[in-house]
Amino acid sequence: MNQLHFPILSLITFIPLMGAFFVALINEKNENLIKWFTFIILVIDFIVSLPLFFYFDPTTYHMQFVERVPWIKSLGFEYHVGVDGISLFLVLLTTFLTPLAQLSTWSAIDKKVKLFNIVILLMQTGMLGVFISIDMFLFYVFWEVQLIPMYLMIGIWGGPNRVFATMKFFLYTFAGSVFMMIAIMALYFLNHHFTGTYTSDMVKLMATPLPAHLQMWLFLAFFIAFAIKVPMWPFHTWLPWAHVEAPTAGSVILAGILLKMGTYGFLRFNLPMFPDMTHAFALLVIILSIIGIFYGAFVAMVQPDIKKLVAYSSVSHLGYSMLGMFALTQVGLEGSILQMLNHGISTGALFLIVGIIYERRHTRLISEYGGLASLIPVFSVFFMIFTLSSIAVPGTNGFVGEFMILLGAFLAKPIYGIIVAFGGLFSAIYMLTMYKRVVFLKVTNPKNLELKDMNKREWAYMLPLLLFVFWIGLYPNTFLSKMRVSVEHLLQQTNRSVKVIDKTQEAQLIKTVVVKKG
Amino acid sequence: MLYSMKDLVAIMPELIITAFAFVILLIDLWLPKKSKGLNGVLALLGVAIAFGVTVSMYGTNMTAFRGMVVMDNASNFAGIIMLLTTFAAIILSLDFLKREDMNVGEYYEILLFSLVAMMVLASTYNLIVMFIAVETLSIGMYVLTGFLRDKDESVEGAMKYFILGSFASTFLVLGIGLMYGLFGTVDLTIIKGGLANADSLHKWASILAFLFIFVGFGFKIAAFPFHSWTPDVYAAAPTPMSAFMSVAPKVASFLALLRFLVVGMSPIEVEWTKILWVVAVFTMTFGNTVALFQKDLKRLLGYSSIAHAGYMLVGIVATNQLGYGAVMFYLFGYMFMNLGAFAIAEFISTKQDRGTEIASLRGMGYRYPLMGAAMLLFMFCLAGVPPTVGFVGKYYLFSAAVKSHLYLLAVIGVLNSAVSAYFYLNVIVTMYMKGEPENAQPVFNSFPLKVVVLLGAVGVIYVGIFPSTFLDLALHSIGF
Repeated sequence: MNQLHFPILSLITFIPLMGAFFVALINEKNENLIKWFTFIILVIDFIVSLPLFFYFDPTTYHMQFVERVPWIKSLGFEYHVGVDGISLFLVLLTTFLTPLAQLSTWSAIDKKVKLFNIVILLMQTGMLGVFISIDMFLFYVFWEVQLIPMYLMIGIWGGPNRVFATMKFFLYTFAGSVFMMIAIMALYFLNHHFTGTYTSDMVKLMATPLPAHLQMWLFLAFFIAFAIKVPMWPFHTWLPWAHVEAPTAGSVILAGILLKMGTYGFLRFNLPMFPDMTHAFALLVIILSIIGIFYGAFVAMVQPDIKKLVAYSSVSHLGYSMLGMFALTQVGLEGSILQMLNHGISTGALFLIVGIIYERRHTRLISEYGGLASLIPVFSVFFMIFTLSSIAVPGTNGFVGEFMILLGAFLAKPIYGIIVAFGGLFSAIYMLTMYKRVVFLKVTNPKNLELKDMNKREWAYMLPLLLFVFWIGLYPNTFLSKMRVSVEHLLQQTNRSVKVIDKTQEAQLIKTVVVKKG
Repeated sequence: MLYSMKDLVAIMPELIITAFAFVILLIDLWLPKKSKGLNGVLALLGVAIAFGVTVSMYGTNMTAFRGMVVMDNASNFAGIIMLLTTFAAIILSLDFLKREDMNVGEYYEILLFSLVAMMVLASTYNLIVMFIAVETLSIGMYVLTGFLRDKDESVEGAMKYFILGSFASTFLVLGIGLMYGLFGTVDLTIIKGGLANADSLHKWASILAFLFIFVGFGFKIAAFPFHSWTPDVYAAAPTPMSAFMSVAPKVASFLALLRFLVVGMSPIEVEWTKILWVVAVFTMTFGNTVALFQKDLKRLLGYSSIAHAGYMLVGIVATNQLGYGAVMFYLFGYMFMNLGAFAIAEFISTKQDRGTEIASLRGMGYRYPLMGAAMLLFMFCLAGVPPTVGFVGKYYLFSAAVKSHLYLLAVIGVLNSAVSAYFYLNVIVTMYMKGEPENAQPVFNSFPLKVVVLLGAVGVIYVGIFPSTFLDLALHSIGF
């Protein structure tokens, strides 16, 4: 269904690519023009994406704004895109966050400005493609494509250990996703075996009957790809490196959008495609998530570096999201999706905050600061609001998400809820301690006396984020109402049972393949 | 009549190339030294005409010379790849030979003669014709490897190649002899019938013969454990020839291997798939593992080409149409990425310093933004990252394996490609992430070379995003 009768999703996805092409033509000496041009492209992209929100039909779980063009005909791959209640806000989050991230780099990135802006634009195309793909092959292509710009961004503009960090990021993610590639192929051929047509449409592939043991392997293949991306404990080790070394904009995009691809993948593939396995593995995933929540919090407590602290808090926050998802309750799932958005906004904002002081002092060590409240009050207020939103204080966005997740977990099994409630406590401890040491206390370091407060450009990219902290915090229904039907449908699919084929049918399957070969 | 007009039509492209080689041979005698460049232009012209004829002959299926030569879609598709490769290799050679002061006609003649041999190798079911073609192309390759005869390592590489190559040919001819002894024919289509009705003694003897013949082909495609010549020879040969050697002979050998296995040896498919399964795994893993430690770009590409031969063997082991088609498609894509990467290797080596250390790529992404971006593409393509043809090609190869339920093989394959990402990405790290060196090395500024790089980059992206047409061609080319 495409209510606009207009290829809006393709437009959103490929405007940045076109933009990158034009940026490539601008003389690299003309840095101001490049920055403005890129920014305007990204803003246009955001504006073009707004009709998605206004014309979205919240009463159906079917894909909307669909476009469908044959791509590789002989194999049945299509350019097939659309959004539903699950992906809608991730698309909007992407178009919303990237211009802000780009704006934060105007003075922070001072070398290879042209290449940097090209990379940001290409990344935007890659990320949007992941969220809108309905065809699995297309999904996989975008999934891998967006690795390239991020790899370059960390590697070229990153900190001293950038090469190690970016290699680790790329190889970890790449190695994880190749398993998913095999799983996609297996689903594709199984589906062909039962239906006689070749297709990689994920909605059709969901109906494929699966041999019992294969279902487990397929689930695990998708699981490993997404768990690395989220990242879940114990697959998280690339994340602190990538975050610490990445430039501010890189961290914002990484935390705000890229990590969401992992959680999105779980929602889109693992849950509806392998419902039996989802139930079978739910306990394991929940345990890993709980470990992640506490592990992230504990490690964050002892970090001397603000950025590293925020990075570990990501591990903790996404643990909540995974927990809410695998609690497999309506409210938990909604909370989980909301948590993804919240994490994008709050953590994105915190990385921007870190970027602001890093640009002024070139250090991120907590011990270097102290007493900023009296020196740069506006900055301190912004910092406080996002800190509070990150620890989920009522009235902010974080509270709604975490509360829904707790509720969902409690409904699934009270013990989950009880354990996880303590996680909130720890996140308050590490965030507030850090905030206290940076912003309150006495000014101990004379270098800080020179600090300037936020300038207009910094206001410009922090204010929109602030707006959403309170919008989601005070009236989340704007967002929840649009995802409700899709989540209900997802839950139904997760509660069905996949038609499992038994041993004799499976032998038949292998036999037909052998016969066909001969 | 020994042959008719129809037979000659079937080998039209080969005849054209041969004719041009002879013309160059003659004209070269009268050309003054400063206009030797004309040789290259003539060679280009010949290849272009042969290309046009090959394309126009697409879809015609005929056999000629009493079944010794077949002209089918497969040989046609392979011919297209080889002619394009040769075309690019000649373009790469134009300035190179001038620089090395080696601008002699023999270079192009030998190149064209070995091209003819490759095209013949790709279009026959006759084992003796295959053997003659393999020998002819090998002799050309030996000479071209050692073409820079004032350079010790070039001569050394040629010698190594020659000795090992002769050894491999011995096995090939031994295997062919055994086959002939068993079935009284060298025609694979007849051997197939004989093998299907063979008793167990004949069957086991023919497996032995298969192994001998596979040694010969394994050497040509650089499969483990017959790969050891590859990095040495690639490093020693003049770079345009390394580029040529890494693609064209492989195309011919892979197609001949396909014909040999899929048609001739189909009755013992169960046995040879087991053997090739092991060979494929070792070839991929060995190539990628050793490539991790390379410091020289040409040697890196040498080991990487071993690994890629392993990936393509996966397509053969899958033993389904998709797999065979995927092999052909992969070869087509491999042409773009490898020619491009070798062209960059030529770009960073100068007459004074012929070295192609990866370290000398440092900062290239900024000094030569377009060349750098192209190299970045080639490296991602070799690693199999979309939106490049390397990804699409690997996707088809491994999905053919999955189709035949060879899950373990597919998993080993994709893990290998994850390992390989490390060393390909290291090249990108050197180009973009190590900062710029204090005294940048000079480069070989040649316009024709840049054209090849550009075409390679365009091919890598275009075929990567719109593979449909080419994939269909590759799939349809497999009619056996």
